[in-house]
Amino acid sequence: MTLALVLGGILAVLAVVAVARPFLREPAPESDALDEPGELERRRLTLAEERDQALAALKELEFDHRTGKVSDDDYRALVGPLRRRAAEALRALEPRAEARHARVARPH
Amino acid sequence: MALLGRAALLLSFGLVAYALVGGSLAAWKRRRRLALSAQNALVASFVTTLVAAIVLLVALGRRDLSFVYVAQHTSHSLPLGYALSAFWGGQEGSLLLWLLVLTGYASLAVLLNRRSRELIAWTVPVLGGIAVFFALMLCFVSSPFATAAAPADGAGMDPALQNPYMLAHPPMLYLGYVGLTIPFAFAMGALLARRTDERWLVATRRWTLAAWTFLGVGQLLGAHWAYVEIGWGGYYAWDPVENAALMPWLAATAFLHSVMIQEKRGMLKIWNVALVALAFCLSVFGTFLTRSGVINSIHSFSQSSLGGWFLGFLAVVIVFSVALIYLRLPLLRSKTKLESLVSREATFLYNNLLLVALALTILWGVVYPLLTQAVNGETRSVSKPYYDFFLHSFGLPLLLLMGIGPLVAWRRASLRALGKTFAVPAAVSVVTGIVLLALGFGSSTPGLLAYTFSAFVAASIALEFVRGRRATGSLPRLVARNRRRYGGYIVHAAIVLLAIGIAGSSAYQTIREQSLKPGQSMRAAGYTLTYVSLGTRQLQNAQQTSAVIDVSRGGSHVTTLHPGKSWFPVEQSSSNDVSIYHDPRSLGDVYTIADGISKNGTLDLKVLVKPLVNLVWAAGFVFVFGSLVAMWPDAVEQRKLADRYAAVPV
Amino acid sequence: MIALSVAAVLAVFILYTSIAGAGTPEIGPSTVGQHVGEDVLLVGTVVGHVGGDAHAGGMRFLLKDDHGAAVARTRVLYSGSVPDLFRTGRQIVVEGTLRNGTFVAKPGSLVTKCPSKYTPAKTNA
Repeated sequence: MTLALVLGGILAVLAVVAVARPFLREPAPESDALDEPGELERRRLTLAEERDQALAALKELEFDHRTGKVSDDDYRALVGPLRRRAAEALRALEPRAEARHARVARPH
Repeated sequence: MALLGRAALLLSFGLVAYALVGGSLAAWKRRRRLALSAQNALVASFVTTLVAAIVLLVALGRRDLSFVYVAQHTSHSLPLGYALSAFWGGQEGSLLLWLLVLTGYASLAVLLNRRSRELIAWTVPVLGGIAVFFALMLCFVSSPFATAAAPADGAGMDPALQNPYMLAHPPMLYLGYVGLTIPFAFAMGALLARRTDERWLVATRRWTLAAWTFLGVGQLLGAHWAYVEIGWGGYYAWDPVENAALMPWLAATAFLHSVMIQEKRGMLKIWNVALVALAFCLSVFGTFLTRSGVINSIHSFSQSSLGGWFLGFLAVVIVFSVALIYLRLPLLRSKTKLESLVSREATFLYNNLLLVALALTILWGVVYPLLTQAVNGETRSVSKPYYDFFLHSFGLPLLLLMGIGPLVAWRRASLRALGKTFAVPAAVSVVTGIVLLALGFGSSTPGLLAYTFSAFVAASIALEFVRGRRATGSLPRLVARNRRRYGGYIVHAAIVLLAIGIAGSSAYQTIREQSLKPGQSMRAAGYTLTYVSLGTRQLQNAQQTSAVIDVSRGGSHVTTLHPGKSWFPVEQSSSNDVSIYHDPRSLGDVYTIADGISKNGTLDLKVLVKPLVNLVWAAGFVFVFGSLVAMWPDAVEQRKLADRYAAVPV
Repeated sequence: MIALSVAAVLAVFILYTSIAGAGTPEIGPSTVGQHVGEDVLLVGTVVGHVGGDAHAGGMRFLLKDDHGAAVARTRVLYSGSVPDLFRTGRQIVVEGTLRNGTFVAKPGSLVTKCPSKYTPAKTNA
């Protein structure tokens, strides 16, 4: 019975400590703000995903073509637009392009 | 010690409630330390729940009959393994298992994603909210730690549960059911945070695959248990409790496939959040069905008040999900449109529709008795013919689609290209169909179609491997570089085996029943079974009476079977001991049931010859293997994902 | 296009339900008298002595309502497989037709429910 009480007590203390820990470690932090992705970051994330999507689509088209699922004609028709899409996505992610976007977005 | 268990559960309740409230506040008001604190609370709740679980396990192991739960589900003569498995044998224990697995999974998910604080900011309170319900039930409605004066001996365990499969089947199912909570929480979390990226999908891909695999294996284990233990000769009876696990599995299958489209083309986003919510709701509904005795079932459980609570929780989840999806609809609309009805995207869409339709018709069948009772005052129910009809109507096209999908190109497939890739599989299936028809398999149209379609799918999968190998040079390299695709093909092969096994053992089985005196024989599908004698023997906690049956085929002895019955004195009940011969030549079974053993030694013998049934179980192994291949971490892919998200660590 | 598929699915569903008839009624001994000659599912608790042989001439037993104090008892004649759990006091479901005062069961349609003395859930699936 006493063992149960002791164990229960320890458990309760551990629980409280776990919950209070972030506050105990930083009683007066510089910033308590939970970072939120800004507009720029969200755009960058979307672009990165688009880039990966385009590259993956290209890779899959090559594979489908090599395994005979896509005919030569279809391949020729599809590969051009896909390569262009991938190139656009890569370019959009370049730092210079971003700065340009940022300048345009901030009117002065 | 029961006090410790109760205290631990109260702590769990407090912690998950804090995770819900504190976590929501932190996500809303953007407070970093509070968010971290809520995360810690979730992880701590796993520890406290684990302590409660250990208390119960120890009590079960020691047969501490002062615990009401232990007294109700075990007895002194019960072997230790089964006594421990009583953990999930009763309502309170299985709720504790749910909470344990949920807090365990939640902790793991939080710890794995702790660097992406923004991603999990809203996921933590959602997980907390779900856990709050179960903790609430455990603390105040259905506690495993109620105590009373210890009786002389416990009530014992239903003999049907004293079987190795019952050691694995429920935990496996729960790992699956609860596993679906994680993608759901991440999806809702992403919607609450107004995110439009795919991060939540990437983070939960393996969780979904793992949960889906557990759920599938859990069902196969349950089916196998029913086959060898309940002993009516079948493995699935469309019982509401069986359907309870099938429905979320179907929805999860749709979700698993549909997210591929979102990943590659950015389409079907609304479908995906709806599917994950549907899978989770069906999971909760399944737990509710199993626990509330609300529907007439051979597994009819307690008529407790728990049913009402579950229904309330389910209503909250449904309202929450629907409202959230509706409010975020503008964010989910995709710019890409479906270009052609003959494209891989379209086949995935048909896949979604068929799977959801099948799940919903099963759901309709399950709730039909409740609805008719409420509307007419008279309960009506549907049974096998209803379910079989829809299984054939939706299942057979799904089978065919499994073969068509991988052969169709993205965006738009030209009919000429289709013709070329379809030629061989189509030819194989037509030839198979004609041969089978000639051999007399036309006796069952769905059976014949199942076999023919299976041939089509098998051929298309084989062709994929052949063509792929030719393109990359070696088979291991092919699979290693395209784990998800080829792992998926292996899983499809497993489903083909499953379909063939199910078709063979149901559409083409032979059933014979006869009363035999010692020395007499009966015939079934080419086998001759002779009743030789009757014998009894004493087991650890039962008395077994079995008949000796000589089985021969074509004049030569094949095997000896021992169907019988066992009597369990403590539980005051008997169980059927079926005897099964696995024929290596036909991959089928000769299944014998001692239906009746009369005092003068007359045996009522029931024989079922089930062709190809062992493919159903073999499919399980192939299924797991394929899943593992698909899940296996790919260093190249991990690096790409790390690059993608390194720039934006949220 | 999606609307078309959904409509097709619903059409199949409605077609079947209307052709097959809406399910089988599940009733208790107190109301089975209203369904003479119909194929129904009889739900009830076994009372009294169980006689006869399910594999020779048929097993005979009486059934009463699961809940409530109705006096009605239905005589059931059953042949076919008898599940392990079957005995006096158990709740069962059996399919068949009421004819000349006796409920003639469809062979092999007897299903037992887990006994209620285990009030919390007894089995898990």
